[in-house]
Amino acid sequence: MDVLFLLVPLSVLLALAVLGLLAWAVWSGQFDDMESEGQRIFQDETMNSPQKRPADMTS
Amino acid sequence: MQAAVILAELPEPGPGAIPENGPGRLAVFDATEEWATFSRPAESTPGKAPVDTTDLWESQVVVRGMHCAACSLTLEQALLAIPGVSAARVSAASQRASIVWAAALTRPSEWMAAPLDLGYRLLPAADAFAPQHGRKAAQLALWRWLVAGFCMMQVMMYATPAYVAGPGDITPDIQSLLRWASWVLSLPVVFFSCAPFFGNALRDLRQRRVSMDLPVALGIVIIFAVSSAATFEPQGRWGKEVYFDSLTMFVFFLLTGRWLEQRLRARTAGALDSLMQRLPDSVERQQTHGGFERVTVRRLVAGDVVRVLPGEAFPADGTIVLGDTFVDEALLTGESRPVARPLGASVLAGSYNLSAAVQVHIEKIGESTRYAQIVALMARAAVDKPQLAVQADRVAKPFLGLVLLAAALAATYWWSTDPARGLMAAVAVLVVTCPCALSLATPTAMLTSAGLLARHGVLVRRLQALEDLVSIDTLIFDKTGTLTEARMGLRGVSTRRGVTAAQALQLACALAQHSLHPLSRALVQAAGPGFTPGTLQVFDVQEFAGQGLEGRLTDLPVPGVLGLVRLGSAQFCRLDGAHHSLRVYLADALGWLAGFDLDEVIRPDAHEAVSRLYKVGVEVQMLSGDSYAAARRVADQLGIKVVQGDCTPQNKLKHLQALQQQGRKVLMVGDGLNDGPVLARAHVSVALGQAVPLAQAQSDLVMPGGQLLMLPNMLAHARQTLRVVRQNLGWAAGYNLVCVPLALMGWLPAWLAGLGMALSSLLVIANAARLSRLKEKS
Repeated sequence: MDVLFLLVPLSVLLALAVLGLLAWAVWSGQFDDMESEGQRIFQDETMNSPQKRPADMTS
Repeated sequence: MQAAVILAELPEPGPGAIPENGPGRLAVFDATEEWATFSRPAESTPGKAPVDTTDLWESQVVVRGMHCAACSLTLEQALLAIPGVSAARVSAASQRASIVWAAALTRPSEWMAAPLDLGYRLLPAADAFAPQHGRKAAQLALWRWLVAGFCMMQVMMYATPAYVAGPGDITPDIQSLLRWASWVLSLPVVFFSCAPFFGNALRDLRQRRVSMDLPVALGIVIIFAVSSAATFEPQGRWGKEVYFDSLTMFVFFLLTGRWLEQRLRARTAGALDSLMQRLPDSVERQQTHGGFERVTVRRLVAGDVVRVLPGEAFPADGTIVLGDTFVDEALLTGESRPVARPLGASVLAGSYNLSAAVQVHIEKIGESTRYAQIVALMARAAVDKPQLAVQADRVAKPFLGLVLLAAALAATYWWSTDPARGLMAAVAVLVVTCPCALSLATPTAMLTSAGLLARHGVLVRRLQALEDLVSIDTLIFDKTGTLTEARMGLRGVSTRRGVTAAQALQLACALAQHSLHPLSRALVQAAGPGFTPGTLQVFDVQEFAGQGLEGRLTDLPVPGVLGLVRLGSAQFCRLDGAHHSLRVYLADALGWLAGFDLDEVIRPDAHEAVSRLYKVGVEVQMLSGDSYAAARRVADQLGIKVVQGDCTPQNKLKHLQALQQQGRKVLMVGDGLNDGPVLARAHVSVALGQAVPLAQAQSDLVMPGGQLLMLPNMLAHARQTLRVVRQNLGWAAGYNLVCVPLALMGWLPAWLAGLGMALSSLLVIANAARLSRLKEKS
């Protein structure tokens, strides 16, 4: 049972790390627009900038 | 202009960093051209007695830092206390305020700075960086919510062993280890996620007033303090129980409720916002050498040519000078289908360009556009407080005081027997009460309805009208311009032998084009494109007001017609025959030449609208300034039974008063131009037609598109709205009545209290959201 004294603090650290990841996601705008990203695939490819096209399908 | 640009480029202050936006920065709004972007001249003040009526302005601002409906009264009082501010209306539901102030006595910087001390921040409603601020605030709210949710899950893990283990299963050191872990993960919840609760509660304490955040903050502090004490000093006098799981859970529920509430509110009451924020920020303007540059819309002046791409909104009223397209004018005219706008057609600011890029020559910008008028009208309605809402607000404040008292009583009562139970009961009372639901019940429902009606071409000027519409049992139509269209159709032409109908019409049009009389215009319109004024020359045209026109033909363009030609009533043309308001005569030196029978064009949807109104039990009547015969004919076609003709405005008013004395609730529908006083006296009034300058319409509701079918729909919808309002009020009151006693008895755990509180607010708003769809009743 002594291992709990290591594992419980570790789990706290892990939780804080996940919180850090969430912070990055929120502040880099990942959740800003939940709707339009899903609809991007329906757009004409010509409307998108070249970078946003799916990577070369042939290779 | 420059000042605003500078302001927009200043670094965005962190959300909640209110002091940074000190009075110094607000000074940029003191230039007349700056405040003109979010203000317009006001004529009269409904509130405090005006000090100086010569230079009054009405400003629309967005309020930040207002979380509860009870705040709106405080902010109103603070604004009214400033010398020079003569009226202030604050709406908690739309988070907007409308302020009337005298330029001679105060400046925007003054009344914008004063609320800062109270913790509120005012932003000009039309300001470009308002959406930017909204995005940051939304991100922060989401982040607080995520922290609370994630920590709650983890704390729950640490709490589980204590629930499932039998006595003695967990050694004391493991137990304290788990409590320590819970405590660490509760820290971010209490000190970060709950920061808004504490901030608002502190602000309220400093202002010596109570709001819904105060009890919640108190509850959080009490639970956290007791649990922390138990963690560090299990043998202490605060008991050995920890409640970190309850704490994190109810905070999470509260934040979930608040977050969803904000989103729902933005979606429903935000129909107004979507209307107000329709203009693009920037537009491509043609430069002198022909190229295009992107400039902010505020720099446009009349005479500029701009290029508008498909999907963009038109920035100003203007004419298309290059290209053809389809536009969406749904919010402006109620026409839901795309409308063709070819080369040379005019387009409205705020309508969307749908199909092709066009170049537009700007004619009107800013305040003078139809769009700006509609926005001003809607903004006014958004801060209008219906009676029901005022009453609810009045109840909410003392209610909070009672809650604090009840919590204290519960704590002291249980303290002697079971301190832990006493604390939890007090916390549950603090958390479970929801005056918010009470305050939100009416405005959310009514604003949602107003937003919906706006999308269908009905602009609500007074929210109270929605409540009044329900009791309507009699509807009075004006005829001309209301049931009939403003234009008239030509029904028949009779001519003297030797003159063809086409020739007679040509001749009449040559005269009629010099006049603005409705009958003259109808003749010109009836002749249509076949009429070319160049072929016929009429000289010395004179108009005799109300009688007719007279002109001279020099040669003989029409065989058999010579000399002086007259167009007008039988009497004016020196002919025998009864006066008929819809017959026009043409005569020359030889006497009668031709007669034109005109006919009023009944609006295509009038018949169905009238029959549907009868079906829902509304008695329809018609009052017309026209002759009885003309009025009767239209009424018969539509199936209206009660008709009065030859009505002067005084007659109409008398008729209205007689009906009202019988106890009838009257809805008056007119064109808003010549029946203003009658409209003002009716219980509810509707003005329709494009002719009315929106700002001057005297009515409660305006239908710019004139879809009569919306009248029965509107009545049905008003009924539904009031039903939802009643449900909301009933639910809010019932919820508090049931839950507060339960919490007082200590039967309600804190997490359940948090859940109940969040749900009660959400239910109210979700119920209101049902109103955002129109039920088509057949």
